[in-house]
Amino acid sequence: MGSTIAEKILGAHAGSRPVRAGDVVVAAVDFAMLHDARAANALKMVEKLGAARLPFAPRTALVLDHYSPPPNPEAANIHRAMRAFADDHGAVLYDVGDGICHQVLPEGGHLTCGDLVVGTDTHSTTYGAFNALGTGVEGTDLSAVMMTGKLWFRVPETIRVELKGRLQPGVWAKDLTLRMLGRLGAEGANYRAIEYQGPAVAAMEIDDRMTLANHAAELGAKAALLEADEKTFAWLEARGAREPSPVRADPDASYRERIEMDVTELVPQVARNHQIDDVVGVPEVKNQRIDYALIGTCTNGRLDDLRQAVAVLKGKRIAKGVRMIVTPASRQVWLAAAREGLIEALTAAGASVEAAGCGTCVNITGHLIPGDGDVVISSANRNFKGRLGNPRSEIWIGSAATVAASALTGHITDPRTVEGGDWRRISKAA
Amino acid sequence: MKNIRGKARLLGDEVNTDIHCSSKYFSGKDNAYVAQHAFEQLVPDFVARFKPGDVIIAGRNFGINSSREQAVHVMRLMGVAAIVAASFGRQFFRNCINNGLPVVECELAAIAEGDEIEIDLTGGRIAVPARGLVREVPPLPAEVQAILAAGGLIPFLKAHPDWKINETADTRR
Ligand code: SF4
Repeated sequence: MGSTIAEKILGAHAGSRPVRAGDVVVAAVDFAMLHDARAANALKMVEKLGAARLPFAPRTALVLDHYSPPPNPEAANIHRAMRAFADDHGAVLYDVGDGICHQVLPEGGHLTCGDLVVGTDTHSTTYGAFNALGTGVEGTDLSAVMMTGKLWFRVPETIRVELKGRLQPGVWAKDLTLRMLGRLGAEGANYRAIEYQGPAVAAMEIDDRMTLANHAAELGAKAALLEADEKTFAWLEARGAREPSPVRADPDASYRERIEMDVTELVPQVARNHQIDDVVGVPEVKNQRIDYALIGTCTNGRLDDLRQAVAVLKGKRIAKGVRMIVTPASRQVWLAAAREGLIEALTAAGASVEAAGCGTCVNITGHLIPGDGDVVISSANRNFKGRLGNPRSEIWIGSAATVAASALTGHITDPRTVEGGDWRRISKAA
Repeated sequence: MKNIRGKARLLGDEVNTDIHCSSKYFSGKDNAYVAQHAFEQLVPDFVARFKPGDVIIAGRNFGINSSREQAVHVMRLMGVAAIVAASFGRQFFRNCINNGLPVVECELAAIAEGDEIEIDLTGGRIAVPARGLVREVPPLPAEVQAILAAGGLIPFLKAHPDWKINETADTRR
């Protein structure tokens, strides 16, 4: 019997032996990530472990992205402790404003195809866009990795998702994953890995593939795995990543479930207020007023997302009363957007463009709290009650294009209906 | 590992332990305080009736959306001997093992509050004698048994910094 990508990657890191879904293995990790929101616990665990040395710390990135910039002395002190720790142990440090963990890790060339990567965050599935098994862990796990370079894993069963056809202009990986959430339900893939493949995935640019892998976290997935191709190799090479060891599933691999979906007919999707799996097509949403339009986060704060927004908004002005906030996923994304004139176009259209970080995702920095009754449309990944700090506000989730189109009109709007939107230019330059 | 024997304390499906067992809900409170109020939103007298050594029995997705280890620290503080649930949130499952709290995936619909339950982790067997109920479950792998026997991942690594497991010492106790 053949193996899935998850079985192959975990097997290769557990002493090159065949492993099966359900097995527990102790596997060598290639790279690890710890962000500020989990650092207090992780550093406490490191202390408890009392290791004389942390040989794996240089292959661990400490990322200051959630409290970016820190909203109170406690957060600022966590940052101080992280900087000192990075200095002491030679860990890689990404400071305030450098960007969101899941963006800076691949951009920094820290991972490559076939890698096993752990991070203190559920959206560590993002690294699967590069054919690496990325998965979320907690502080105790991370302290163990920093000391030994290894960790125990339960080998997940895999759901294979074959995506046929091709996304139409104005429809993105975001719409596709929202559709999947509507179909499988939040946590519908709990414990499992998801293999995404098929012509629709091959046609996607890297930014969209990262959205696909990232959003698998809302499905409860332990990992999301895409196959590598020329686009992957070129992207990684340009960022100085190690030599890739691409991994494919065997044709006779055994899957928990196989799902097939033709994406050609897919229209833009939104998740309704408070329920990430309550998903409808944007054309079905009539007269839904919005007050806030947010673009950013590790799910959709990348260059192609900003390009989508500009394709909708260039030379126009967002609706009166709407507040639009854009937070690029990383400093690199910010700079690339500036070079392309996207920052200027967005600002001229009425948006506020902020420094890179988790800013628009969750009420941590306390600088973006909607008022009672405010309706937010966001390109983020989670919309549970109170995510933005006010349970009496609403949060809807859609693609960056849908967010921008909604900002333009003041109500939830299908980006394909905006006149002059030029979708063909997007992703060509990536 | 020794068998676990305790009284069943029932909780339902989809229990988010981040809300019921961490400072997310009891903002600014320490673990000792949270342990005095754990699960009270679901079962008002849960803690009052809970005795150290009792076993939590739950339904689907126990610990869902709970990635914080604090929830497990609180349950250890309460003296939870083990958790048996139809399924667990993924990170919660890891956190339990890493903090030495045995978790068993098994659906136990026919059990009642207060029933005596016996869990054999090494042999993979759960029994509720009062109901004549015996369930086979996949025995925990040696690595996980060793981590549980040591009381969690950190004490395990202190004793075995190379991850090498000495079967007789760790798993046959
Ligand atoms: S952007 Fe949001 S979901 Fe992503 S790592 Fe930051 S807080 Fe978490």
